[in-house]
Amino acid sequence: MTLARDDLAVMPAAAPARWTFDAKALIAVPGLVFMALAFAVPVLMLVGDSFVDRDGFSLAGYRKVLGDPYYIGIIGNSLQLACITTAVCLAVGYPAAWALARIRGAWQVILFALIFLPLTVSIVVKTFGLTIMMRRDGIINFLLVNLGFIERPMRLVFTEFSLYFGMVNVFLPFMILPLYSVMRMLDPRLLDASASLGAGPVHTFLRVTLPLTMPGIIAGGTLVFSISVAAYVTPGLLVGDRFMTMSQVMAKAYLNIRDFQLGASMAVIMLVISAALILASSYLVRTPGGERR
Amino acid sequence: MSQQATALPPAAEAQHEPGYLAVSNVTKRFGAATVLDSLSLSVGRAEFVSLLGPSGCGKTTLLRLIAGLLAPDQGAIEVGGRDLTRVAAHRRNIGVVFQNYALFPHLTVAENIAYGLRAKGVPKGEQAKKVADALGLVRMEAFADRAVTALSGGQQQRIAVARAVVVEPSLLLLDEPFSALDRKLRETMQIELRHILRNLGITSIFVTHDQDEALVMSDRIAVMNEGRIEHLGTPSEVYARPKSLYTMEFVGQSSRIGGVVTGGRDGIVEIDTPFGLVRAPGHFLTGSKVVVGVRPEAIAAGEGPAGEYNTVRGTVAEVIYFGSRTLLHFRTAREGDRLHVELNRLPDTVAPGVEMTVRWRLDDSRVFPAPGGADR
Repeated sequence: MTLARDDLAVMPAAAPARWTFDAKALIAVPGLVFMALAFAVPVLMLVGDSFVDRDGFSLAGYRKVLGDPYYIGIIGNSLQLACITTAVCLAVGYPAAWALARIRGAWQVILFALIFLPLTVSIVVKTFGLTIMMRRDGIINFLLVNLGFIERPMRLVFTEFSLYFGMVNVFLPFMILPLYSVMRMLDPRLLDASASLGAGPVHTFLRVTLPLTMPGIIAGGTLVFSISVAAYVTPGLLVGDRFMTMSQVMAKAYLNIRDFQLGASMAVIMLVISAALILASSYLVRTPGGERR
Repeated sequence: MSQQATALPPAAEAQHEPGYLAVSNVTKRFGAATVLDSLSLSVGRAEFVSLLGPSGCGKTTLLRLIAGLLAPDQGAIEVGGRDLTRVAAHRRNIGVVFQNYALFPHLTVAENIAYGLRAKGVPKGEQAKKVADALGLVRMEAFADRAVTALSGGQQQRIAVARAVVVEPSLLLLDEPFSALDRKLRETMQIELRHILRNLGITSIFVTHDQDEALVMSDRIAVMNEGRIEHLGTPSEVYARPKSLYTMEFVGQSSRIGGVVTGGRDGIVEIDTPFGLVRAPGHFLTGSKVVVGVRPEAIAAGEGPAGEYNTVRGTVAEVIYFGSRTLLHFRTAREGDRLHVELNRLPDTVAPGVEMTVRWRLDDSRVFPAPGGADR
């Protein structure tokens, strides 16, 4: 019985695809209609906009975005932001998720609350809170000065450090949740078995824990990367124009300079990056288990 | 296999250099609950010892302590003269076969078996040879490249055994390895595993709650109850000469009749029971409350000579037919009493409600202090 459960935990069940009509699918119709109207139509219009200027079909938007070092730099900024945020979230979130999955009783409830309550606070509130804390007269500078680490308050807000700090603050739960759901299903006896076979903690981690939690790493990584590559509020509030991201370019294109084609082209490029990542990750998750089934 | 094992004890006993595994006064508590209470156990080299007991008796905890997956609160654990009490699990070289096998689901059969060799830094070429040998040992050569998740329970069991023995552990621990298998397969695997481990000469500790399994497989059985070992002995000692009522009732079927000692001499006590006066070997003070235990198969139909036999008369309550034998449950006047009689041939007249005379030898009865009495 336990084995069946473990199987499910580690490898998503690969049901053979059959294209017969199943009436249960009808239940999804309201959701599908809503998503078609609220998501698919606007996205398609956006894609359409990116290929059109006042005179009809044109690739000027893409030429601008992909040909201008300024915009390439901004795409680079967004990718860098997403990469670093994802990496830090993984480094901090992996042990936290492990603790969450292994601890029992009251401590688990407390840990859960600590990790997921922040999700109920709006990003704007959280980010503004951070700026207050990081001000020259904020608590961080106060502590650093009074503990003698620095002589006078240093600038924290509007630095890249504050940006990454704020990004991890906002997106960490999105890394922990998928990791936790995979780790919770990891049979602790596998770790006992590894030890009984003479493997030390490092060997066990690299050969058992890491491969078996890889689906959680990929899922959490994909989630955090794809939302942080598109982040708008946090970079805007914590760094502003010093560190332009793709989302900010889009907003400016639409709201300030009213160059719809530029905004749409940038949006499509971001969409392609995220879609490619999601496709790659679902391929990665499937391959190891899929072949061995 | 088991017959062979019991026919061979002198030779087998001789090679069991005693004290190879020495568990000394080990105590383990979880919070307020004392799971193991100053328990000691000594196992000889190449011996196969079962820890037999109901769930919660501490047998799995003891196994995990020996493996190093738990640390004792008090006491010491030695293997081959080496004190392992504070040694980490991965440095103990003690193999474990887990209840659910705990095979690595992301590795193939061969990779699972090679896991320990790799962890210990055995060279690649040697690994391949050892894996092949281990697969041969459990007759799974054809499955080397399969996914372990695609194997049946019995096949997974074999791989778990191969994976544990391929690293040549100094001790092998088995935690109810057959509990997930159906009865037929379990019986085959019991004999096969016993054969493999005997040939390899691996000292084995086997945890089970299944008394038949323990009787079939073990050189010795440690009957456990509430964190203590009630009886440590060979299967025939534990079955035929149980040291406690608990052991008698946990291992095999038993009849038990409560009574009060009315007298005795020459090592035979007379006990007043609801079935009349019963005599049995033992030393108890007159007036002691005791329980007489007899194996159902030691009881026969009809009267016996008074000097050697107890003869009682009772009413049949139930007739349970097993094919090769029939079990009769008699009516008892007192709660807790049980008179079960196993007969190979059933007289035609026997049916529920019929009165019947049965007998058993004095030597076949055991007397224990009544539970809940002064000694408890």
